[in-house]
Amino acid sequence: MTKDTTSTRRSFLKGGALLAAPLAAVGVPAAVMADDGLKARLAKLEDEAAIRELHQSWLRRINTGAGDAAASLFANPERAAFDPSVRSIAPDHAGQPDAIEAAADGKRAVGRFHCAIEIEHAIAQDCTLAQMAHAQGGGFVRRTERRVLNVEYAKASGAWAIAKVEFASV
Amino acid sequence: MPGTPYPKEQMHRIAYTKLSQQQIADKLGPVAASGPKSASPLSDVFAGKSIRIVTDKGPALAYTFSRTNRLSLAEDGGAAVDAGYGALTLSSVAFFSHMIPGTQRGYAAVIDRKTNLATVFELWFSGYEDNREVQREIYYGYVDQPGQDAPKARHVTTNRVEGKAFYWKQDTGAETLEFYPSAAYSNFVELSRLGGELGFCAPSDYIKINDDRYIYTRTECEFSGTFTAYVMDLNRIEQVGVRLGFNADDQLEYYVFRGNGEWLGQLAQFEKFGDENGSPVPVAPAGQTAAKGARRVYRPFKTMAKMTKAEVDAACAKKTTAFAPRTTGPAAGMGGNLGPSTDWLAGKTFTLRYDHAPAMEYRVDDAETLNWRKEGDSSWTKARYQGWESMPGVIMFGHLLEGTPNHDGHAIVADFHQGLVTCFNGYLNTPYFANEAGVKTLFGVIEMDGLIPPKYNRHFFTDEMVGRAVSQNYAPNLTSMHLYTTPHSLSWIIFTDTDAGGLEWSGPASYVKIRDGLFFMYWLEEACNGTLGTILVNLHTMRDVGVGYNCGPQGLGMSAVGAHERLAGRFDVRRFYQVKTSGGAA
Repeated sequence: MTKDTTSTRRSFLKGGALLAAPLAAVGVPAAVMADDGLKARLAKLEDEAAIRELHQSWLRRINTGAGDAAASLFANPERAAFDPSVRSIAPDHAGQPDAIEAAADGKRAVGRFHCAIEIEHAIAQDCTLAQMAHAQGGGFVRRTERRVLNVEYAKASGAWAIAKVEFASV
Repeated sequence: MPGTPYPKEQMHRIAYTKLSQQQIADKLGPVAASGPKSASPLSDVFAGKSIRIVTDKGPALAYTFSRTNRLSLAEDGGAAVDAGYGALTLSSVAFFSHMIPGTQRGYAAVIDRKTNLATVFELWFSGYEDNREVQREIYYGYVDQPGQDAPKARHVTTNRVEGKAFYWKQDTGAETLEFYPSAAYSNFVELSRLGGELGFCAPSDYIKINDDRYIYTRTECEFSGTFTAYVMDLNRIEQVGVRLGFNADDQLEYYVFRGNGEWLGQLAQFEKFGDENGSPVPVAPAGQTAAKGARRVYRPFKTMAKMTKAEVDAACAKKTTAFAPRTTGPAAGMGGNLGPSTDWLAGKTFTLRYDHAPAMEYRVDDAETLNWRKEGDSSWTKARYQGWESMPGVIMFGHLLEGTPNHDGHAIVADFHQGLVTCFNGYLNTPYFANEAGVKTLFGVIEMDGLIPPKYNRHFFTDEMVGRAVSQNYAPNLTSMHLYTTPHSLSWIIFTDTDAGGLEWSGPASYVKIRDGLFFMYWLEEACNGTLGTILVNLHTMRDVGVGYNCGPQGLGMSAVGAHERLAGRFDVRRFYQVKTSGGAA
């Protein structure tokens, strides 16, 4: 005869308590340690989530042509200036996964995002053909390149901000 | 009395009067009351009927047609006004037009009586800085059928007319060739009004009624400002429409017309398959709201630099550049797809003996430097040049003639296998604007050791290219198409990002046959940028190479151009330009 069993939160906690017993035996307040670990992990996850949200906000502003509005996302708005030839940034799903690493002090972090960027350059209006192309709303050369977006973040007053954005070749 | 059909001035040279609003109002008054003229009997399709046209983003128009030429109109439930009108039908399609007394406004409407779908053009004067330029706004809608639901379908803008061309003869006797190589512009040759010497371009609308019938408009911006709209049946090759505007003599032309014609051919389209977008050129720049009647209009005469001889001389003295070093990327311009230059001429000495111009003697130092002098002169002048071997033995090269009074530049095709040469001699200080290039075509022979030139044979003007369309990709996203509309003019169409035909303009041109499949041609951007463009088109390799010659406030420049080409097709039009035994063209 077999009996189906269902794991419950109660049984999980029980098991946890049993496993914690040896640690308690050496005099370390196990509950405190577990609590600190969870807090640290939670803080790390919260930081990562905040940075991802910050990154998404920045991407939205770049991709919608509202690059000027991105300055408010920077720790130093003067460093928000961004290559105006970049028209859009999209995730490169053929590249490596996004990586966000926060420093031990919890005040700095770096992000590494593989992406495909669309670059647009205006064609010089030095001939009739180019002038007409601009007159009809064109006159641009666009190309897409795979790049790595390296972003530095800083936390101040409990909020993350972008410190620096750089593109690197893949 | 014998005479020619040619006007004293071509359209781009006419100084159209800047009519005041009052002058326009004074002339509109009588025709608003009487309605448009018509050489054909007006249709009674609406007589005795009342209809209400509902438009999506425009007015509701309640019409009562009392007779074949009298109506009353109430706009958006307002007070009714009486006006004259004219209507014509084309199978199930009815077309009518009227002005509104006491205003400078009016309407032209197209109603498909099978579907009850309607397209309405609101037309008005004094809506642009040049009052005479007719403005138009297009509303799509339907004729309200009481008790029935409104139809969901609408007439739509389309690119399905793109690439077509027709010969049209109106009931007025006016004959035209009309080319639709763009989804936003068109090109027309006035055979009877202007003798068919040159083609001209205008912003246009193309609207699909059904697979057989389309609506076309053009507004002759930069010229008289006249508006033309018609419905055309592509199978029956019939049209009904309206012409509204002030001609070169400032006489108001307002008439509805009927016409028929001939199909002249079909060019290739370059949009992706399935793309039938009829609005490839955005009405307003990104982020801006389009004003009523807005459209993209190329206004080259308005924007061109207009310089005096003294200003030209000063600009040339300040900066004269020949074949600036090539660049790549977005700055490459029309030289982006330029083929490699040749050093074929390096070390050679020869004379180009022109039939009706001084012979030019050359000593060529290397691939970029030559020395020239006119026969009889004792001193040589050094000049920077570039040359390309388009076919074996055929060298195209160009150089400026610094020190000449009119700042001449030569674009030369020399066939060293045949001993023949053709030179497009560009020069400045022309009659209308000093910075506008003029050109003389020089035919002649090559004299060089080991070469026996022909005595009588010469390159010659040809109409072999007339009717053809050839696209030119000069650099990424810098693509145009030449349409060789008449033996003496061509138009250029600029492609959009989706490779639809966009803005278009035209200029005087000429074509010289060098060899089978090799044509040397020029065009003048008159009342435009003043540029003389020259290209040597090789239909075997589908490459062109050429030389541009331009003077503006920035100075005088000669530059190299080169493109990858594609044949887009050919219209059957050469027969319209043959000289008739009775004299005159067409």
